[in-house]
Amino acid sequence: MCIRNLLAPVVAAGFLCTAAAHAAEGSVRILQPAEGATLDSMAQNRLVYEVDPGPQGDHIHVYVDDREVGILRQRKGNYALETLAPGRHELCVKVVNKAHTPIGLQKCVAVTVD
Amino acid sequence: MSAENLAYALVQLVHNFGAASVVGGAVFARWPMPQPREVQRALAWLVLAAWIAQIASGVSFAAVSRHFYGALPDIHAVARAALAVKVAAAVLGLATAAWLAGRGERAGEAGRVLAWRMLAACGVIALAAAAVLRWFS
Repeated sequence: MCIRNLLAPVVAAGFLCTAAAHAAEGSVRILQPAEGATLDSMAQNRLVYEVDPGPQGDHIHVYVDDREVGILRQRKGNYALETLAPGRHELCVKVVNKAHTPIGLQKCVAVTVD
Repeated sequence: MSAENLAYALVQLVHNFGAASVVGGAVFARWPMPQPREVQRALAWLVLAAWIAQIASGVSFAAVSRHFYGALPDIHAVARAALAVKVAAAVLGLATAAWLAGRGERAGEAGRVLAWRMLAACGVIALAAAAVLRWFS
């Protein structure tokens, strides 16, 4: 009983610390388009994202085929993609620090434009 | 306080004072009134040191990024153009300040006035380019 009472807060604290550490690392999600999606070249395509920049991140850069096309300062939102030429393209969202250096937190999706 | 932020802050500190000195030193040499030759000589050395600090701290920004993330800052095409302008202004400013500090005494008044104007222009152009570089990256 006594041991269980002592262990409970320790275990709970352990879970909380783990969760906090995970949250501190940050995350990047591209909600749209999905990996492998086919986009219409005539349509206004949007990249929908959700980012937790973590402690080192500051803002977000958007890339199309490894070329920076936009700077985003909101953690969650969407970005209107310029007209993409037909073919396969890679869309990336990278978290960068205040000096615009990618900190390694990123997500890319490959899409095909028809 | 992370080591990374401290390193960037120290580099920024040098860069900011360097920026203030390259413009302030060049402008004060001639305005609101032309300074005596001895003061101009001292200002020429100050501006030379400031341009060296500007270039060294500019390179250090990249070095800090490289050290902590193994990558250089990733900047947009507009920002890259602004950086090129800034680097050109720094190289011209450094060369002009070195000439003024080393040979300014032997040059005529007209040559010194031209050098100070060129230094002021380099400083202003570098600062203007820095603003574009900062917000278009």
